[in-house]
Amino acid sequence: MARLELKNIAKRYGAVEVLSEVDLDIADGEFLVLVGPSGCGKSTLLRMIAGLEPITAGDFLIDGVRMNDVPPRSRDIAMVFQSYALYPHMDVARNMGFSMEIRGEDRSTRADKVAAAAKTLGLSALTERLPRALSGGQRQRVAMGRAIVRDPRAFLFDEPLSNLDAALRVEMRLEIARLHQRLGATMIYVTHDQVEAMTLADRIVVLNGGKVQQVGTPLELYERPANRFVAQFIGSPTMNVFPVVSDGAALVLGDGARLAMPDCDGATALGVRPEHIDVAAAGDGLIDGTADVVERLGSDTNLYVNAGDLGMLTVRRAGNLPVRPGERIGLHLRPENLHLFDKAGLALARRA
Amino acid sequence: MTTTHAKVTSGETRAWRSAYWRWLVEPYFYVGPAVLTIVLVMLVPLTIGISYSFQSISLLKPFATSWVGFENYAALWSDAKFWRALMNTLRWTLGSLVFQFSLGLGLALLLNTTFPMKRLYQALVFLPWAVPTFLSALTWAWLFNPVIGPLPHWMAAVGLLSEPYNILGDPKLAMWGPIAANVWFGVPFFAITLMAALQSIPSELYEAAEIDGASAWQRFTKITLPFLAPMIAITVMLRTIWIANFADLIFVMTGGGPAASTEILSTYVFNTAFRKLDFGYASAIAVALLFMLLAYAVFLLWARRRFVKL
Repeated sequence: MARLELKNIAKRYGAVEVLSEVDLDIADGEFLVLVGPSGCGKSTLLRMIAGLEPITAGDFLIDGVRMNDVPPRSRDIAMVFQSYALYPHMDVARNMGFSMEIRGEDRSTRADKVAAAAKTLGLSALTERLPRALSGGQRQRVAMGRAIVRDPRAFLFDEPLSNLDAALRVEMRLEIARLHQRLGATMIYVTHDQVEAMTLADRIVVLNGGKVQQVGTPLELYERPANRFVAQFIGSPTMNVFPVVSDGAALVLGDGARLAMPDCDGATALGVRPEHIDVAAAGDGLIDGTADVVERLGSDTNLYVNAGDLGMLTVRRAGNLPVRPGERIGLHLRPENLHLFDKAGLALARRA
Repeated sequence: MTTTHAKVTSGETRAWRSAYWRWLVEPYFYVGPAVLTIVLVMLVPLTIGISYSFQSISLLKPFATSWVGFENYAALWSDAKFWRALMNTLRWTLGSLVFQFSLGLGLALLLNTTFPMKRLYQALVFLPWAVPTFLSALTWAWLFNPVIGPLPHWMAAVGLLSEPYNILGDPKLAMWGPIAANVWFGVPFFAITLMAALQSIPSELYEAAEIDGASAWQRFTKITLPFLAPMIAITVMLRTIWIANFADLIFVMTGGGPAASTEILSTYVFNTAFRKLDFGYASAIAVALLFMLLAYAVFLLWARRRFVKL
């Protein structure tokens, strides 16, 4: 259990800057998710917290104590690797108890703690197996068991589910959520999967190009993205963004349609999520378009609409929509769910 | 073979009619060349060599060749020179192996770190292998010669020797001369093979161990060594066999002397066969060495299966 503080952290390899100006205050017991496209520096940031990568500039504190120069083994942090990094020559029990073996704890304490952890993870029957005799999900559990046994000050997860198949990923996601509820420990979780980020996180940190884009709860990021990048990164299918011209009281869309909107000075782009577009009969909507592709998911229908000058728009409606490919339809944008962006891509403050 | 079955015209089945031919005879045509090669190249000479050890074959008495049963082995059992050569073989093999392995492992660990001009050093490590054995034996013999070589003077200066003399002429120390040359010659083998094994260890394991609290020494003993174990087992086995059979250095540097103090089994075999021209007895010594090395290899392979988990 610990509070982790990152103060103006930066990472440079020679002249190449991978991370800069990272300021985070992670509360005791918080589940923080670092999310971003590949190469955004999220794994590097996690490895800096673990102590596997030196911190170029700034301060990293655990419970108020500066950790920059403390080696990983003295930071009392557990980490679950993407590849699991299980010791292939040790059986499951020894893998899980390795940290205690290192500390020289006696055999019976080790066995008890390992047995308890194995039981909570459903690994009791497998403790004598070598990692190569386990399935991907089981290896993942062993890697988590190795972390739990330690009872560390913080848990770090580096894309732990990316090597699992879809069904197992959902199952392990729940398992990790339960683990956090039960242990109440500080956890930092790196992923490129926004569903994992949205479902697990107390707070999400969106990174892009080595810079923090936004920090907030999952719903804050969904409802009030700070910029175009966050807006399009969070949410699935991706938010539609198209250019607009503002005349102060209304937005003029590319095809000439006008949308009354007070205080929209400076807006150059309009964003609307696929689930915030209503479908109407052709000619009745703000925008007219042709349904290019119709995807029926059962619970939802995804429409890919060719809206002429505005380009392709994605529309997502609950249920089964009676639209055929090639049909002309009208679209309504819900004014309360629109996002405006200025020339720099920053979100404009929304109306009250 | 084409004459044994009917000509196949297009559209006709190509299946051979005789199951006897197909399952019992045909496969042997395929393995035939390999089996024949192995028999001709390995088994025939081996059998002839072993059969010599049960005969009395001396080129000095060409008409007295005859089968003598275990007579050669009985003579071996009571031959003090044989037992002495066996002890020398153990000293030679063990002395060379221990230093080759420990220095090779150390060098491999050093070469596996990052430093400037790493590739150049890696290439330099190979160098001893590029030198012909005969040449390196001569060079080392000269190095130990106080008239032209620096080694006796250095050893005397640090107190290893009372005065700079040639250790190759001292029955108590002579064995260390060829051993030093052999260590120089054999370190690259261990360095290169162990370095290859080191590079195959995933770096995340070290990171996981570091996070689990392991010190550098613990990471070495609990990650590195278990990962190297299979390679160590196989290289130590191969190297032991090569060293035990490796007579070139000793033959050139000391010729087995002085006073037979560096006579190992393989030089004893050579001297018996080509100096005394007693092929029967030489074969008996060689067969004895062969079976000792076989027993050793079997033991190492068993130990590897038993203790190495990777």
